Amino acid sequence: MTVMTINVNGVARTVDVDPATPLLWVLRDVLGLTGTKYGCGIEICNACNVWIDGSAEKACHLLMKDVLTVKIVTVEGLATNGVLSKIQQAFIDEQTPQCGYCQSGVLMRAAKLVSGNAKPTDAQIDSAIANLCACGTYPRIRAAIKRATGQAPVK
Amino acid sequence: MTDQLIQNESEPVNSGFSRRSFMAGSAGAVLAFTLESSMPDSVAQAAGAATKIGGNLTINADNTVTVAFGGAEMGQGIMTGLAQCVAEELMVNWTQVKTESAPWAQSYITGGSFGVRANFLAMRTAGAQARDMLIAAAATSMGVAPSSCSASAGVISNTVNSQTRTYASVAAAAALLTPPASPALTPKANWRIIGTRANRTDIRGKVDGSAIFGLDVQVPGMVYAAVRHSPAIGGTLAATPKLPAGATHVINLGNAVAVVAANSWIPLDYCAIGISSTSSTWRDGIKWTAPAGAAAMTSAAILTTANTLMASGTPGTPLPENIGTAAATYTAAPKKFEGTYQVPFLPHVMMEVPNCTVSLSANSAEVWVPTQAAGWVAATVSSLTGIPAANVTVHITLLGGGFGRKIEQDFVAEAVKVAKVVGKPVKLFWPRDEDFSHDQYRPFGLIRVRLGMNASGTPTSFQARNVSVSPLFQRGWIGATGNDNVDGLVGTPYNIPNKLVEFVRHPSTIPVGFWRSVGESMNCFAVESAIDEAALVAGQDPVAFRRALLAGKTRELAVLNSAASMIGWDAGAPTGHAYGIALATGFGSLACLAVEVSQPVAGSLTIHRACMAVDPGMAVNPTQVEAQMQGGIIQGLTSSLWGKTTFTNGKASTSNFNNVRLMKMSEAPVIQVQIIESGAEFLGGIGEVAVPPVAPALANAYARLNGTRVRTLPFF
Repeated sequence: MTVMTINVNGVARTVDVDPATPLLWVLRDVLGLTGTKYGCGIEICNACNVWIDGSAEKACHLLMKDVLTVKIVTVEGLATNGVLSKIQQAFIDEQTPQCGYCQSGVLMRAAKLVSGNAKPTDAQIDSAIANLCACGTYPRIRAAIKRATGQAPVK
Repeated sequence: MTDQLIQNESEPVNSGFSRRSFMAGSAGAVLAFTLESSMPDSVAQAAGAATKIGGNLTINADNTVTVAFGGAEMGQGIMTGLAQCVAEELMVNWTQVKTESAPWAQSYITGGSFGVRANFLAMRTAGAQARDMLIAAAATSMGVAPSSCSASAGVISNTVNSQTRTYASVAAAAALLTPPASPALTPKANWRIIGTRANRTDIRGKVDGSAIFGLDVQVPGMVYAAVRHSPAIGGTLAATPKLPAGATHVINLGNAVAVVAANSWIPLDYCAIGISSTSSTWRDGIKWTAPAGAAAMTSAAILTTANTLMASGTPGTPLPENIGTAAATYTAAPKKFEGTYQVPFLPHVMMEVPNCTVSLSANSAEVWVPTQAAGWVAATVSSLTGIPAANVTVHITLLGGGFGRKIEQDFVAEAVKVAKVVGKPVKLFWPRDEDFSHDQYRPFGLIRVRLGMNASGTPTSFQARNVSVSPLFQRGWIGATGNDNVDGLVGTPYNIPNKLVEFVRHPSTIPVGFWRSVGESMNCFAVESAIDEAALVAGQDPVAFRRALLAGKTRELAVLNSAASMIGWDAGAPTGHAYGIALATGFGSLACLAVEVSQPVAGSLTIHRACMAVDPGMAVNPTQVEAQMQGGIIQGLTSSLWGKTTFTNGKASTSNFNNVRLMKMSEAPVIQVQIIESGAEFLGGIGEVAVPPVAPALANAYARLNGTRVRTLPFF
């Protein structure tokens, strides 16, 4: 166990854990940020996506000792003072989630996409949203991204 | 805490409020109701469910209302659909409505696509009773007759004086009144909320990270446990493994070992394959005793047995369907078709792994669990601890997918056993590879279809024989000669005068369960593929062939024609593409799917479009009907193309997403949904019916594309 400080959603958080613990389980068990999900544990499903210095990464394989100097953003950090970001609101407007379990990871990638691309194409959406969704919300994820970027909703 | 609880001992009535409780204070007033589900008795009994269900309604101090009900929200929108029914009659606006889960005693099995359709009238009645009680209390308060009062947006006004009352201000008084036996229900022409695209109540939390699934539950003082089962199903621990470093407990559960620690990561690391190499030494050191009869739990042997049973097995009794003289008609038929179709064991593949949090006290228990069967959870806890079920509190969390898997009790029982040993609250969860390798799979089966036709190609006989592993038999719900897995074979809509359906139970002990659309998930593939194959024998177009067999069947023809029209059937597919179509009937609904495919490279298939016409009778929430069609189609495509688990000496082939393929964003087709409302107030279920037509529509398109008929799933 080691006392370490990480920057999560703009706040310095001090934790006492094994430095080899994956970030995912520190966020969930220690910090109570349970929006970030465990899906596969082997870097395939993208349910655990967070931003590391602005880039979408898989928290299931990022070790604590490797995230001490970076800025971490989780799904809980997408809203500002309780006001949802544009992409989150678009997910509500398009009624995108079903069970919702994968959606945190989807949102981290979708938010990243729309922040750097004013008008993402269908091909760019396909490429960016590598998440696995068992409920089959893909059409509504696409519609939400289009809505958030002011594009016609249909592929 | 200043809340006080007053209970009134009124006699039960058949629906709506039968007992009332009233909580005064900042929480507002709670009106509890018990109601009779209209889920058919046969279904309720088969599922072991109590037919008396209920929920409660809270009028909050801010004049919003909270509807609590006992169903499982796993993405299908049930919370919203049922709350729409209550809100309609309660005369509140949708923005005033919140939802939550009710205690397990008011819960019911969530399955069979019954959630909304079975409770539609009862929830409306409950809302109407509450409305009339609130109006009566307000009338007294305002000194006028109830007949002069009306309610809108949670405010009651009258035609005599200028006074008004909010629901919140009269809720406490209303809760003491006797509920009206048969309150007036709002006529359909005046509906404001039922039938609209009301936003779901559970979505905000699912986009801001605050939604609590079972795996997210945190309880003060709790510890964490993960499990590892015998790699071969049914095997047992030869010895309890040594305590791994960092863990507090290692517990022998017979067919599994549980590792307990102060966080999730330590037990997960030891129990899961492929995450880190440092834990493999401990894991590889576990000694398992192979199960008896392991060799029989091998896919090739299971198939051999199935073929024997198809040829010479004894069907269950009574015959599920036996109309006319199907066998003799087939023998004498001048044209005929026979085909045998094979479907695999199929994992459920929900994104949230099985998990359960348990806190035990001397004579009570509290459970937080993503479950489709909260009543069974209470029974499981009670049977393992001796704690009366009445003393078990079950919190139904959101489900990160269910698809039928989360009706099961295996993970609940493990959590209870571990909690008993540890003496602290425990959250037990399965690593992903334990989920995919120890599921209760959709049954493997063979389905043989025979169609006899007259000289002009009109079918005169339909025979189907389903040889498959039985979930009902494995649970002891039917005897050795009972029937199972014939949904989608019995009662096919086609006008064929002679019909015979048989079930032959396969004795495999691979655990099987209920997978979204259950029997339909296997049988619709066989029947709708066979109809296309028979059309080919008859030299007829598949859509025209179906139309002729559906003469006079208005609902079926409507969805068939709608799907054919959407895809552009009559104009024909573009060069290098092909269309396929299939019709599913089930759960009170009809669904016809047409797909457009091409195969630019061997070993894959591109699905360009999927056009679904669905008739649920009436759509309580069209957006959610569309969402269930979209999701069901994508899940159906995933399972048709790639879904299967095979076994070698009881060891499953599936472990994680490196060998279980899900359709991705880039592979999903453009989906078009047409809702046809054929019923005045008739409701069919919508959670499952989109899945069955996918596999046959795909196989039919594939055959038209390149002449190759796929009779064994998955495609690849």
